[in-house]
Amino acid sequence: MLAAICSASVLGVTGQPVTVEVHVGPGLPSFQIVGLPDEACRESRDRVRAAVLSTGLDWPNKRITVNLAPSGLRKGGSGLDLAIAVGVLVADERLDAQRAQAHSIIGELGLDGSLRPLPGVAPMVACRPDRVPVVPLANWAEAAAVCEGEVRCASSLGEVVLALGGGRWPDPPLVDLSERPRQVADLADVRGQPEARAGLEIAAAGGHHLLLVGPPGSGKTMLAQRLVGLLPAHDHATALEVTMVHSAAGVTLPEMGVVRFPTLRAPHHTCSMVSLVGGGSHSLRPGEVSLAHGGVLFLDELGEFSPSVLDALRQPLEEGVIRVSRAHCSATLPARFLLVAATNPCPCGGGPPGSCECDEAARQRYLRRLSGPLLDRFDLRIGVRRTEIDDLLGIGGGESTEVVRQRVDTARARALERSGCLNAALAPADLDRVAPLADEATALLRAELERGRLTGRGLHRVRRVARTIADLGGHDSPLVRAEHVALALQLRVRLRVSARSDAA
Amino acid sequence: MSRADRQSVASGIDELPEAAYAAALAGFTEMTVHRLLALLRQHSPAEAFQVASGRLAPREGLIQRVLNDPERGAALRAAWASSAQRRRPESVWQRCADLGLEVTVMGQPGHPPVLTHDALPVPVLFSRGDRSLLDGRRVALVGTRNATASGRHVARTLGAELAQAGVEVVSGLARGIDGAAHQGVFDVLDHGGDGSGAVPSGGGRAGVGRPIAVVASGLDVVYPREHRSLWHRVGAEGLLLSEHPPGAPPVAHHFPLRNRMVAALSEAVVVVESRERGGSLITADLAAERGVPVMAVPGHVASRASLGANGLLRDGATPVLDVGDILIALALDRLPLDRLPSERLMLDRRPRPRADDRVVLQACSGVPRTIGEVARFADRPLLDVAMALARLEQSGWLHQVDGWYEALGSPPP
Repeated sequence: MLAAICSASVLGVTGQPVTVEVHVGPGLPSFQIVGLPDEACRESRDRVRAAVLSTGLDWPNKRITVNLAPSGLRKGGSGLDLAIAVGVLVADERLDAQRAQAHSIIGELGLDGSLRPLPGVAPMVACRPDRVPVVPLANWAEAAAVCEGEVRCASSLGEVVLALGGGRWPDPPLVDLSERPRQVADLADVRGQPEARAGLEIAAAGGHHLLLVGPPGSGKTMLAQRLVGLLPAHDHATALEVTMVHSAAGVTLPEMGVVRFPTLRAPHHTCSMVSLVGGGSHSLRPGEVSLAHGGVLFLDELGEFSPSVLDALRQPLEEGVIRVSRAHCSATLPARFLLVAATNPCPCGGGPPGSCECDEAARQRYLRRLSGPLLDRFDLRIGVRRTEIDDLLGIGGGESTEVVRQRVDTARARALERSGCLNAALAPADLDRVAPLADEATALLRAELERGRLTGRGLHRVRRVARTIADLGGHDSPLVRAEHVALALQLRVRLRVSARSDAA
Repeated sequence: MSRADRQSVASGIDELPEAAYAAALAGFTEMTVHRLLALLRQHSPAEAFQVASGRLAPREGLIQRVLNDPERGAALRAAWASSAQRRRPESVWQRCADLGLEVTVMGQPGHPPVLTHDALPVPVLFSRGDRSLLDGRRVALVGTRNATASGRHVARTLGAELAQAGVEVVSGLARGIDGAAHQGVFDVLDHGGDGSGAVPSGGGRAGVGRPIAVVASGLDVVYPREHRSLWHRVGAEGLLLSEHPPGAPPVAHHFPLRNRMVAALSEAVVVVESRERGGSLITADLAAERGVPVMAVPGHVASRASLGANGLLRDGATPVLDVGDILIALALDRLPLDRLPSERLMLDRRPRPRADDRVVLQACSGVPRTIGEVARFADRPLLDVAMALARLEQSGWLHQVDGWYEALGSPPP
């Protein structure tokens, strides 16, 4: 007569436990779903009935009421299909209630009774640690990755009914869990551009946000792709967080289920605010900033993004999370990423000084878009230029990703051991302790400050970058030397568009 | 200005000077230089104002033909009549007085003869500052607005050295080369009086050349805005000139007219950096038409900012490698030795670069370089080069923007 089946839905990147209560009673035959289902969820009425019939089972011609508890939470998506179908069969006393209730049942049904994969299985499984999850075959890997116990999977409603009736569960798919070499774009492909290579290495080692300034065709995108390869593999906690985000957003996960390596997200400059920060009316789907969690967010043509979209980046840049709020729900999504942006030095694309053809008004418009607090967040601002023919035709590139990543790993280990965080996150108050300056280095910075070319905030950024450069140099001396500061200064180029306010 | 003065200015048309009418006429809509010239050739300014307002019949000539033109005449008469309502000579004159402007009219005493006898004379001249500068030796330094740092450096150095030699520097107060040239003059004016010895004995402010700026807007309309302070300094310590009345905006067709005034006022026109096309090439053409020598500073062949200047050289302009070339053209090279900026670094207070930094500086001279290119040129590691660049930038030998480094002048051996 009555059944209660455990299932879940997703809000943001966290699973929300949902209990599917089904009552099958006398009365005119009908099928109602209550408890704030959204459109996709309400349609499951028709899918479930068709799937049950296609599986060769009888549909109870009685009054069927389905309640999705807690009824205050809006449920989205089609992940409750299977739980509703099982609930109907249990309430109709054709399946064993106890066995069904030991599982948390997740899956979308096709009209033919097949089980379809769906986004968000990882967080849904993770929110019901007390139950044995049942998931579609194709979602088994991610569910197994986040679940410590056993995970059941099936490819159709029929298999689930057989198993819950006392039969065997189908075998999980064969997934090769062995360590596989990481596939990355190799840094050796970059020809010439020593300062850009240095910039990537420093950004990866210190977690410094990076702005690439250069004309179209100078390989800015290529460089951003290479930066991902320099970052170390995720630790376990981050890997799980990233997997949750990717699963919730419906991004294809790696075969083994867990996202172990940093990813590059490169939204186009026409992207909307919601697509970047996350949102949507019901499920608060994670946006690009969350998808880039633990990896690299690359914004090409920074000046073309709408100012409000760029403004929304401030919270994640400061706090490593993004809080998305709607009238009836809110969620905090992880968003700790390395920001890499690229821009032309002026509308025409620039080139060396004196070669630009832009009229003053156009350049001013560009200036207004680029200036402001966002430019200030970049510790590194590096000029890139079109590769010279000699470099393109030359034999072999520079060092490979493998070689550079070893240096990066060493430098990161050094920073973490010293202060427990990457150098980009050093508090200004800690700088004197963890990044003391040699006398000559102090003199260099003092001169820059006196000439008005460095602001107080810029000073901290230069000191953090200089710390990273010293760490990469392999010097165990705690002092940051003048040449480290000098390189940090040279890798923070003054932009032509903002040359008027000379301080950086 | 006291209340009584104000009333005396505004009290009656009879008391207004003739120049007030010309100042008002200069601001009429549809009033081109040619029409204003024609009006002022045939009538006194007060009469010309009456003619333009439609209260007096024009004498036979160009203006009569234009005003009675069957197609355009009616429209022009209407435009001028409405301008006459809005631009009262009293109020224009009051505005000029408030701004402290001197106004002279072609054919009247005080108008610079060089502008009266030009191929295209300046009918009305508004000025602020010292008109006696027009009696001195005058050289124009002009160039592109979109200049390289090294071009600006050359302009500034030449401006300073000309001022030291007692030559007034004429320019257009535009961004880039123009502004840098006048900045150089002020470098001398600032350091001349402080007894620092930067300017030789007999120097000081006396005998030092001063800036003359010709602008394309009214003298109360600062353009470009980033030259606000330079603009006011030129007005206070040099001479600001315009043929447009107060309030006139810097519209595009004013600039070629401004350039002809620069050419007319100068004994030589030096183009420091110019693109393939640009205002400074127009100035050079206008100077050539007037028989004013055109000189140009050669640039690297690969530099687009020097395409125009190099083209002038190919067409026969005199090359300027240092200030001596300009002084020779003015026959000023026979000045007493202590007036000659013979020591190139007299104003140059930059410390000489270290021996091992010279190769880095050398890499950046001629064309802008990136840090990576410098490292390859000097065959030294990036950290090393960064340090050298930082030292050179701090001592003022290098300028960096967007990651491009440019050498500013070459150090003494």
